[in-house]
Amino acid sequence: MTECIINLTVGQWIQQHQHGLVVVKPETALPDIVKALLASDSRDAYVVDKGRVLGHLGFNKLVSHLFSPERPVHSHRQLFAQVTTATAAELMDPHFTYCREDEPVNQVLHRQLQSDITDLIVLATDNTPLGVVRLTELVRESLQ
Amino acid sequence: MQQGIFLSLGLLLVTGLLFSLLAARFHLPRIAVYALAGLVWSQDLLGGVTGLQLGDWTSTLTDTALALIAYLIGGSVTANQLKRLGKTIFACTVGEVAGAALVVFVAVWLFLNGEPDALSLAALLAVLAASTAPAATVAVIHEYRSRGPLTTTLLGVVALDDALGIVLFSLLMVWTIGTSLTGAISMAGLEIGGALLLGALMGWALAFFGHRVRNPHFFLPMVLSALLLSQGLAAVWHCSPLLTAMALGFVARATFKSGGERLLAPIEYLEELVFLVFFTLAGAHFELDVFLQGAELIVIYVIARVLGKLAGTRLAARWCRAPSAVSRYIGLGLIPQAGIAIGLALSLLNHPTFAEQGLLIVNVILASTLLYELLGPIATRYALMKAGEIRRTLS
Repeated sequence: MTECIINLTVGQWIQQHQHGLVVVKPETALPDIVKALLASDSRDAYVVDKGRVLGHLGFNKLVSHLFSPERPVHSHRQLFAQVTTATAAELMDPHFTYCREDEPVNQVLHRQLQSDITDLIVLATDNTPLGVVRLTELVRESLQ
Repeated sequence: MQQGIFLSLGLLLVTGLLFSLLAARFHLPRIAVYALAGLVWSQDLLGGVTGLQLGDWTSTLTDTALALIAYLIGGSVTANQLKRLGKTIFACTVGEVAGAALVVFVAVWLFLNGEPDALSLAALLAVLAASTAPAATVAVIHEYRSRGPLTTTLLGVVALDDALGIVLFSLLMVWTIGTSLTGAISMAGLEIGGALLLGALMGWALAFFGHRVRNPHFFLPMVLSALLLSQGLAAVWHCSPLLTAMALGFVARATFKSGGERLLAPIEYLEELVFLVFFTLAGAHFELDVFLQGAELIVIYVIARVLGKLAGTRLAARWCRAPSAVSRYIGLGLIPQAGIAIGLALSLLNHPTFAEQGLLIVNVILASTLLYELLGPIATRYALMKAGEIRRTLS
């Protein structure tokens, strides 16, 4: 990682690299979330209600549920989710990884890799979403 | 002694895995070859020659594996999802479970009429007849790209009936411990109520600590620890171990408020190992004498279970005015029987009350499972085809 990135805070990073955060409502249907992710070329959606982030949904997880009839292996849990047409709130992980705007950017990479999140959400001190740190951007700039 | 245990278990598992490679190569049903691998090490074959030990250690292994499955089934569904399942799925599940249990009970009891253990054998086989095999059903649905009301109902029913099967089995186990009717009822109340309470408390505790853990790699040891502790406490306090595990899974997921990835996915990875253990152990317990002695019983069980499922689902589906494709054909899609029934049967081997019948039951369930493994997919395909829900052209 280059010196200029190491010295940046997350807040400074998202000002330089602005990407739309994919935000959905708790009752949003899975196909609509996947369409939103594809439209913004993102891999991670966040479920938000009344300005508060409730949970995270990854692209692979969504696609896995959406196309479950195309897959031969199902656990009991996946069968119930398929039969009852799960919503965003039922599939999301409420224990999602996030970062704060005053954190150094170099600490974010490990967190993203550990939690397998491409678009890591940045939360303000009052937990309102401010933006995302995109893993691909971070890697691209670090390699330059 | 311990070397013998590791050697026996290792040989069973490695043989099962090697056979499964062959199964994948020749497109054979995986669980059937696991059982075949166990059969190779049965006392009538290599097990007798090499002195393979199948002692008390198998009960610890079976009970642990069953607890894992019960936890997964308990955590597989939320209260909201249960509400949304709909009347048809609920009615068909109750219908098929009650139908199979009732017809198997009556048929076995009439067949064994006069024998001293007829009632308990009939009751045990009746509750074991409840569960089905979701993997077999899903495989057929996937292969033929089936879609429609019958497919959806079938998926819901095969997901739900395993839970009902475990509950019925647990209730029967509790019931048999009492020495009198009133004694049995009060004992049952304590065992069931205690299990639900213990499971709920452990589930809440698991979710409470789970909220505080960020590293996803901690979840497997956390869940295993909670599950083992709950099983230990259930044994000390005389609570039903399977109901405890189910309640733990259900409450943990409800309290954790998520799709269940963190709490359930790590254990789901162990599911294949659990079935490998169940089927190789069941195969290793195969005894030709017991099989021949119970051959008629196997035929009666196989036919009675199918008739019960057909009649039960038909009545239930008609009662709730399900689409005609569902009421006419759903029973045929519920014939497969697999891991849960085998695991529950294995758990009887070291049970003080059923020690004498355990081996016969394992052999009956193993033989019937292999038969159903052959017949089940054909029947499911026929049902889906008759219902007009198969999209792929049949060759």
